[in-house]
Amino acid sequence: MPLTSNTVGGMYALTVFTPIMGDRIDDLRAFLGRLPAQSSPLQRLGMVHFARWVVVPDFVSDPRQPSPEHLPSPYLLFSATFDGSLDAFLDELCDKLASEAETIWGCCEGAPVPARGVALQAYLKHNQIQTGLFFAAYPDASVTTVKRALGTREKAIAFAARVQGMELLALREAFIQEFAP
Amino acid sequence: MLRVKAGRTASLAASGTSVRNVDGEAVALTVFSTVKRWGLLELPLFFLFIRRGKNSLRTLKQLSFIHAARWSLVRRLPANGAQPEVRLRFPHLYFESNFNGGWEEYIDAFSYVLTLGMWGFWGSSYGFPNALPSGPFKQYIRDNEFDASHYYAAYPEATTTVVLSALEIAPKVEALWDQAHSMSAEQFHAAWQALLTDGQSCL
Repeated sequence: MPLTSNTVGGMYALTVFTPIMGDRIDDLRAFLGRLPAQSSPLQRLGMVHFARWVVVPDFVSDPRQPSPEHLPSPYLLFSATFDGSLDAFLDELCDKLASEAETIWGCCEGAPVPARGVALQAYLKHNQIQTGLFFAAYPDASVTTVKRALGTREKAIAFAARVQGMELLALREAFIQEFAP
Repeated sequence: MLRVKAGRTASLAASGTSVRNVDGEAVALTVFSTVKRWGLLELPLFFLFIRRGKNSLRTLKQLSFIHAARWSLVRRLPANGAQPEVRLRFPHLYFESNFNGGWEEYIDAFSYVLTLGMWGFWGSSYGFPNALPSGPFKQYIRDNEFDASHYYAAYPEATTTVVLSALEIAPKVEALWDQAHSMSAEQFHAAWQALLTDGQSCL
């Protein structure tokens, strides 16, 4: 058994850690800060359950460690929990998030110019951190499955409240109509 | 209360963390800690032990507010452009979690439920104060936490419990719909009542 594993069930845990060019950190922070929280561009990636970008200015050194350790530059951490394979995810990222990805990783040292397509995919793989342990509460449920199940549950709750006391035949017909695919 | 992180002030959401770490009900936790040399051996073996054990993640599942979490050991930073490869003098442990609920309650639950397991994860990290009492551990996590610049959850209004409930009840509703056409009104009523009774905890 390998010592690292990026997958559990049908889910993949991707972690990428890339150095930010010294004169671009403010641009990057400003761009990430402007991404709308309510309608994140990551919504375009239908396979993504959770994702984040984190600017890491430096490691935190503990007073008890023998000597402090510093990052050679600020770093950008990107992590995503998604369905399916890494290659399929990177294809989708570089297609549906092309503009944002180019701006974001264009601020990073060693990224291709422009930060797009196959070259960007290779750059992200080059800077991937392998996952030691990955936990998912529902590892076999895709984003589509989760969203559909949440919708069905919501409908079931509303339906149960609405049909209390309904005549039997009408109840069956209402159910068939309400939950038709 | 305001926390100052990396030279900037972050406003706190109701969940007790920066608003940038929050999307709906979902909360992002991002932590790096410095690992002692012996952690290079202990952590991979601990991860392997947990992955091999059939029930070793059961306790994490019992913490029913964690959607997904991961731990990774960082030993080197690959070369990029003009920046040469860096072999870290100390390995670093990366931890992230996607959970729902309050930040304080989350760390408390981790401390109380996973007390021994916590040593396995962070015992090799410099400054780890033990899981209990939880106050110093919460401070340790705060000291080593980084705020997200952008955080996204695909179904932000759903807690882990709601997702698990939905995944349990939805196939039963769909199965009933498949059968409903061939049922009498009385049979359907009985089946609907049974679904409501059996699935009460999911609704």
